[in-house]
Amino acid sequence: MHLPDGLVPVGMAAAGYAGSGALLALSMNRIARLPDPQAAMPRAAMMTAVFFAASAIVVPVPPTTVHLMLSGVMGVLLGWFAVPAILVGLFLQAVLFGHGGLTTIGLNGLIIAVPALVAFMVYRTAAGRFPRLAAGVAGSGGVLMSLAIFAAFVLLGLPAQMDASAERAALMVFVLAHMPLVVAEGIIVIVLLQILSRVEPGLLPRG
Amino acid sequence: MALILAFAFASVTQITSLPLLAALALAALVASGQPMAVLTRLRAPAMLALAIALALALFSGSDTLWQAGPLHLRSDGVAAGALVALRLLAIVTLTLVLLGSLPPHKLAEALRGLGLPAILSDLVMLTLRYIDEMRARLARADAARRLRGGGAGWRALPERAAVFATALIHGQHRADRVWAAMRLRHYGATRPATPPFGLHDLLWIGAALALAAALVWLDRAT
Repeated sequence: MHLPDGLVPVGMAAAGYAGSGALLALSMNRIARLPDPQAAMPRAAMMTAVFFAASAIVVPVPPTTVHLMLSGVMGVLLGWFAVPAILVGLFLQAVLFGHGGLTTIGLNGLIIAVPALVAFMVYRTAAGRFPRLAAGVAGSGGVLMSLAIFAAFVLLGLPAQMDASAERAALMVFVLAHMPLVVAEGIIVIVLLQILSRVEPGLLPRG
Repeated sequence: MALILAFAFASVTQITSLPLLAALALAALVASGQPMAVLTRLRAPAMLALAIALALALFSGSDTLWQAGPLHLRSDGVAAGALVALRLLAIVTLTLVLLGSLPPHKLAEALRGLGLPAILSDLVMLTLRYIDEMRARLARADAARRLRGGGAGWRALPERAAVFATALIHGQHRADRVWAAMRLRHYGATRPATPPFGLHDLLWIGAALALAAALVWLDRAT
């Protein structure tokens, strides 16, 4: 779910850079407060590589398939490191594969990183009492929130002469086509966090 | 430089500027020395550009050019579609030519040169270093799951989550070892100084700025 280059007005793309830049500055500030921020970097890089590879997992939505987004689980496992990790992932996708866009990295960063941070906070707050519910909300809620931000950006950015009813209908089809992904990511994140809490609890955030 | 030109390309709003945009993208493609490799990587963006152009041609604008049942091809929609599709393809071509062929350390060096924090450029370099390894590991684990009789589609989601969890745990252990090795090499004690922009770099940046300004001026003047 990426905004490609050339679709939105250049001012909006520049505003996306400003927004993502602010979010990145906030994250770097929080990361700098960690006891040993450099020690967390290799782990963040490794997780970014795993998420990058795992986002190739497809969920069948006949007649097509959709890719996992993993914004919620990235937030849960990486915390504040999720913002640089997501921006790095988007940059590499644009540079290596031409997916997403170079001018829209800022907007795409907001589409994925804001839900990741919200999922991180929700999970950290609620996982102690309701671990499964918190995992499900982080997984499914992350995708839902990304969809909402993506739809808002598309509505703001598409050419003004576009037929408004057709635009809304196309967006509705797009959102409905992603509903199976909302369910799938919920299932995957619940199972994933359950396994990690049993086998490697050190990977999970402490409440 | 790529970012300056990409934003200049993205700011084109007149259909009359499209031939110039296409010519610049084509020149970059030829200058890359490996046009076929770049064209292969352009396949998916080209499909996306075509889909967007078709959607805009059919659902935006008012002057009907051609009609078949409920489908109306509109002239201003065709113009808007061509503008978005060509901007997209030109920017992606430029990105792949200027940045896609750089080795990881050059990419990280360039990011440091832009003034990004070292932790961010190191994150890029380490991620690039491990992407292929993690992809191969996930693919092997998924193949093993299928050979053990694992399902497909929706029923396989919990099993695939387990494969994903295993990869994350492996990644965590690997990260611990990488960090230990980095500390042994005195990581962070001294950081390689980013070379300041040389005359050559400044000339290229100046040329990119001039080209971007000319493109925007021509676009606004027409």
